[in-house]
Amino acid sequence: MSVFLCLLKKELRTCFYSPIAYVVMFFFWVLTGGNFIWLLSQLAHGESLTLATQLMFSGPMLTFALPVVVPLITMRLFAEERKLGTLEALLTTSVRVPELVLAKFAGALIFYIVLWLPAFAYVYIQNYLCPPEVIGFPDGGALWAGAIGVVLVGALYIAVGLFMSSLTSNQIVAAISGFAVLFGAFLGTMYMAYTAQHPGIRILGQYFSSFAHMMDFARGVVDSRIVVMYLTHTAWFLFAAVKIVESKRV
Amino acid sequence: MIKVSGVTKKYPARLAVDNISFEVGRGEIVGFLGPNGAGKTTTMRMLTGYLPMNSGTIEVAGFNIVNQPNEVRRRIGYLPESCPLYPEMRVDEYLKFRASLKGVKSSARRAKIAEVKEQCGLTEVGKRIIGQLSKGYRQRVGLADSLVHDPDLLVLDEPTVGLDPYQIRQVRELITQLAERHTILLSTHILQEVEAICERILIINQGKIVASDTEENLHRKLHACSIIEMEVMADQKTAISKVDALEGMDVRNSSVLPDGWLWLEIEADSPSMRIELFNLAVAEGWSLRELSEQHHSLEDTFVQITRAAGGHV
Repeated sequence: MSVFLCLLKKELRTCFYSPIAYVVMFFFWVLTGGNFIWLLSQLAHGESLTLATQLMFSGPMLTFALPVVVPLITMRLFAEERKLGTLEALLTTSVRVPELVLAKFAGALIFYIVLWLPAFAYVYIQNYLCPPEVIGFPDGGALWAGAIGVVLVGALYIAVGLFMSSLTSNQIVAAISGFAVLFGAFLGTMYMAYTAQHPGIRILGQYFSSFAHMMDFARGVVDSRIVVMYLTHTAWFLFAAVKIVESKRV
Repeated sequence: MIKVSGVTKKYPARLAVDNISFEVGRGEIVGFLGPNGAGKTTTMRMLTGYLPMNSGTIEVAGFNIVNQPNEVRRRIGYLPESCPLYPEMRVDEYLKFRASLKGVKSSARRAKIAEVKEQCGLTEVGKRIIGQLSKGYRQRVGLADSLVHDPDLLVLDEPTVGLDPYQIRQVRELITQLAERHTILLSTHILQEVEAICERILIINQGKIVASDTEENLHRKLHACSIIEMEVMADQKTAISKVDALEGMDVRNSSVLPDGWLWLEIEADSPSMRIELFNLAVAEGWSLRELSEQHHSLEDTFVQITRAAGGHV
């Protein structure tokens, strides 16, 4: 087994052993459940189908929850290794820092995807209860686009959280600073995109607002510029985390 | 096995290791001593490739730590100071994880893990969760981890810190057994441990190597004269003058014990001069019940060396 797979397996195991994972799962699943009930009530009131997929992936309950949920997943990644001293034990074997960062990132991303699985299960429940030929929901394309959006936004949030965790040996500090950056950016760009008076600021906000992007993805719009932006931003934060771990050893 | 030349490590606020050089030969067991903050852990961390150095070179088994870090790491079993482990994992799980990271082939892994568990007395606790083990057992898990890839060199940073006396003895016995097959560099605060295990002593103080020799040689260098204790039945004044009259001998201290015997502390050029004292007692007709050389403890030597170098203990 390669070192990467070995690290990934350990990451997943540690993640699912920790009580915080189950607390996060519980609350996120309550939110996705609540979101689904709301979606159904909207459909029952004759709401348009486009809005339904938007609610599915970018309902305010979920988009506002992500900047809180993701730092809870990522806070432990490096802070715990530093606290326990296991980072020293890891880096005195043949593990390379980029490998370690990628394994931690992949582990957190897999857990994040697990968080979203019930939301997709709801689509099938909905299908079963009310066949698509009757109400035409869901639109396969929009569903896939929404899923891509969820993963891209999640990947960036996780990379930011992981970067914050690489800076400290205190998990609480990692969680709060991750939350502050993500929530600050989320609200700031949303404000710029939707309420700013100046048209230039609005356009700028729309470029960077993950809320706006989620809405677009959920409508079935996959803009390659946005995809590249998420991928490069994610890569940048992962690269920065590698540099921090390489340089900050004591 | 280890060749350190001219290594310097600077932290932003201080110079941790200042141009140190030393060598450790294959099969040697070397005790690495020094007061707190002297640079022991920093040196060990540089040796294992965890910390980069500012200047100098380190070679382990002929491989350079900067150019061939993986070759070096493959040959070192390192137990860091705090014995870091994942408390949520089981002992077997942890050793399997570490063995895979260290490149132990999957076909050999099971046998190797069983072997190190046996060696470290962990066979009974393989299924236990590490966080629930006693400190002594956790230390053994750390040692088993450092052995799992069959390294040539073991670097152990304070392996007995925080253990109770019984556990210290167990870990010490284990290290003594390991010494038969590995080169060992061991840092510790417990000087009896070094006396019991190590063949050679390296003393570091304020980032500099201040001594590197066998324990006996260090004593010899530091304590040029020997101290001899003698208990005789004789008159105090006469005895002192007779002993002082012998060449190369000087009475440092004397007192009459409650039971009437005279106790003398004599500084002599060599411990073999006890024979002359015996002959003197016979010639003078003194009864003699004690004639022994006082041994200097490693603690005295350590304090003296680090004080001389301007350190504090």
